[in-house]
Amino acid sequence: MKEAPGDRKEPFVGVGLRPVHYPHLLGRPRLAVKWFETISENSMDSEGRPLEVVLKMREEYPIALHGVSMSIGGVEGPRPGYLARLKTLADRVQPFLMTDHLCFTGAHASNVHDLLPLPYTEEAIATVARNVGKAQDVLKRQIALENVSSYLTYRESVMPEWEFLVAVARRAGCRILLDVNNAYVSAMNHGFAPETYLDAVPAELVAQIHLGGYTDTGKFLFDTHSRAPTDPVWELYRRVIGRMPETPVLIEWDEDIPEWAGLEAQAVTAAKIAEEERGRQPA
Amino acid sequence: MADSPLEAVQRRFVRSITFLNDPEFVAGVSGGGKLTAEEAVDVYRRGYPARLTEALGETFEACWRVLGDEAFFAAARDYIARTPSLSYNLSDYGATFPEFLESRPDAEDAPFIGDLARFEWAYKEMFHAQPHEPLAPEVLAAKARPDAVLRFGAAARILVFPHRVYGLWRRDRANDAPLKPSDWEGAERLILYKRTGTSVFVRSLAAPEHEALAALRSGRPLQEALSSVEGLTADDVKDLFVFLSEAGVVTEVR
Repeated sequence: MKEAPGDRKEPFVGVGLRPVHYPHLLGRPRLAVKWFETISENSMDSEGRPLEVVLKMREEYPIALHGVSMSIGGVEGPRPGYLARLKTLADRVQPFLMTDHLCFTGAHASNVHDLLPLPYTEEAIATVARNVGKAQDVLKRQIALENVSSYLTYRESVMPEWEFLVAVARRAGCRILLDVNNAYVSAMNHGFAPETYLDAVPAELVAQIHLGGYTDTGKFLFDTHSRAPTDPVWELYRRVIGRMPETPVLIEWDEDIPEWAGLEAQAVTAAKIAEEERGRQPA
Repeated sequence: MADSPLEAVQRRFVRSITFLNDPEFVAGVSGGGKLTAEEAVDVYRRGYPARLTEALGETFEACWRVLGDEAFFAAARDYIARTPSLSYNLSDYGATFPEFLESRPDAEDAPFIGDLARFEWAYKEMFHAQPHEPLAPEVLAAKARPDAVLRFGAAARILVFPHRVYGLWRRDRANDAPLKPSDWEGAERLILYKRTGTSVFVRSLAAPEHEALAALRSGRPLQEALSSVEGLTADDVKDLFVFLSEAGVVTEVR
């Protein structure tokens, strides 16, 4: 198994591992990407093809496990058995990072399979912190939580999203998966400056950066992961990566997924920007 | 005990997505962009059936093909409205969809639809099943004494259906000729199994083969199980053991 380098002298850019690219990747081509991210739930309860491919790719690449169903912000916490199964998967894959979303995904046994935003309140911070504690105890490792795109805000929120995100990470003792696209989408939807958001997140808390594409519906920005990052998102990424040049970066693409070359080209762009920003750092 | 504010808001949000917009929840939120609060809740509300329909479509792809878009999506919509998703894993959704399809008027023209859906569910479960460690063919041959009891691995499942659904499942997607009763009439016996790796194999079984495998699987000793099957010839027994060896479905002989 190849481990993620501790001292990253080059940009560490990866992409999401998706079935449409399995045939190409299993041919063991030379790749510009340095690592892969895989959706945890696709392999947690299955001995099928996705797990087989993850384990095969893991022989040559570092892999991060990215969950969508931990429901870390749910008052009921992760569902019984979820963390134990995730731990079993982690023991097999040996990921360099485990992440999920700062949200909840259901309530009272009903699962809506969506990343529902939380109100930015003290109770929500305490709830997430309690659940993160349980998760990290079972998983025996620190996790990172991703800021989600949102299409509504709660009137009961008492702080802006970025304060909530940082407070959760500090209180819970976890790290942040900073999705630059999500920050942009939420900023445009809710009318704040994305720069304010991103500048407020301390570099030492960020374990990974996500980049993806949204759809402009005309009424709101929708986080569809169906296209390449847009120019404003690339510009924000440049601003972020300049502050944290060694942070792993991931290109996410889940709908209308292009051929491998198209996806890899986005990773190359992300690496190039990271390299340029490294060049600007004082020696 | 009363809900905490967070618990109340989560319960109302989920209810607004899976059932009806909760006015109290809508009043407590603001829409993003140019969305009203109600429209913003609808963004989440629309995503829920879309994801569950996609999950049903993936698992029950052949049923979808047979019923066509209109009937399949109508069935999915009605099923989702009355069947909440209880698992974090979308792939777990639809365990009772076969019986639901069977109960609908569409089943009059497609009386096999429940069996086809049950086959697809079983195939999906086999796809995700943990492969077992098969007994080496030479060990199976050496231990197969008359009083031996064979233990089958978990990644092997024997199925019997009143309708012939395997052919429908395998049917070429480009073949849009209307189905005739002769395409599905008659019982079907199958074994689904994993050999090595993740591929799922399906083998059609003749009635005596099925009876013999079912007897063996139930734990009856070899000779007793095989001799109880009417119409099973010596050649059939030989073929059955060649299959058991090659397929690796036996994990232990006692």
